[in-house]
Amino acid sequence: MATHDNDFLTGPVPEPEAEATSAERAYAKTFADVVDKTLSGRAPAAMSADDRALIEVATVIRAANGTMELAPSKQRSIIEDALRQAVGTGASTSGSVTPIARGRAKRWVPWTVAAMSTLVAAAAILLLWLRVPTTTVVQAPQAAAVPTSWTSRPADPLIGPIAREHAGDASSRIDYLFADRLDGFRERRLSGGKP
Amino acid sequence: MSIRNLAVPGLLAIAIAITGFVACSSEREASAPSQTRVADPSDVIDEQLMVSLAQAKNFHRKAKVYMSDGNLAAATASVRQILSLRFPAGAPEAEDVRLDARALLAKLLVSQGQVEEAMRTVQEGLAQSQRESFFVANLHTVQGEIHEARAAQLDGEGEPSKAKAIEERRAAIAAYDHSIQINEKLQKQLMEDR
Repeated sequence: MATHDNDFLTGPVPEPEAEATSAERAYAKTFADVVDKTLSGRAPAAMSADDRALIEVATVIRAANGTMELAPSKQRSIIEDALRQAVGTGASTSGSVTPIARGRAKRWVPWTVAAMSTLVAAAAILLLWLRVPTTTVVQAPQAAAVPTSWTSRPADPLIGPIAREHAGDASSRIDYLFADRLDGFRERRLSGGKP
Repeated sequence: MSIRNLAVPGLLAIAIAITGFVACSSEREASAPSQTRVADPSDVIDEQLMVSLAQAKNFHRKAKVYMSDGNLAAATASVRQILSLRFPAGAPEAEDVRLDARALLAKLLVSQGQVEEAMRTVQEGLAQSQRESFFVANLHTVQGEIHEARAAQLDGEGEPSKAKAIEERRAAIAAYDHSIQINEKLQKQLMEDR
């Protein structure tokens, strides 16, 4: 079985009990050096695509084991920021830590909004409850336009002063009154009730 | 999401729901019949008024026939029926027709010798009247005639009733004066209205 330096990923899979070849040992040693350099922040500028893929896998495996740590400078910055906020001096330089007071305020915002809404609702209820209903009188426009002859009214202008000799002549007066009101009634009916 | 986190939106929802409910209920109250009403137009002549006037006219016609026949009692009964007619509420014609019927009724009673009953009929009419009119003035005129009838009766009783007769004649003059005053006042008003 012929092997090459860079055909590990695409070449045939060796037997489980097969002894590593010298080329494989040499390649393993070279790759171990590359991994060590990458983890210490000195990754080589150029490497093959296969090596880069393997390096990424190795980085992920290391991070999953929880052995990765922040850089000492970053660790110092975060601790100093937290201490500064605790004693109430200065603002955070890193921006990654939320101040305790602001956190508390954020917790009260929804409650404040809810309380204000409830107060507004209660005020609206009180306002509507106590409001005195206004009565609007709508003047019917046809009321003023109705002719006098169509209306029920005193008979004085029609009858006039009653002479003594006609004091008991109520029969003729009712005839006159009836005829007059009948005229108005018919006039109104024939015009459809509209002037 | 914890119960505490659910409480805030819950409270907001309740507040909004209460506001909406109150707003809706206030709109319903606003459309209640007590809020907006249309002003009553002037009362027009309607069927009910015409029916009442027609009935009064018929009773008068009936009474006239009875009177021409000499049946004063039946004529009186016919005129009395006019007083119990139902007119539309507030119709000014109702008072005028009733006052005129009372005037005729009083005259019929006087002609039958029922002077006190005639005076009661007139006084009831004057007491029930709500405005001055030519019909009220006419009733005062009839009242004067009743006083005159009383004075004539007292004259027939001889010397002891002479003072009372004079008193009745003075009352008759007062009634006629009252009638004249009302007529003059109303005529003046009518002239001004024209």
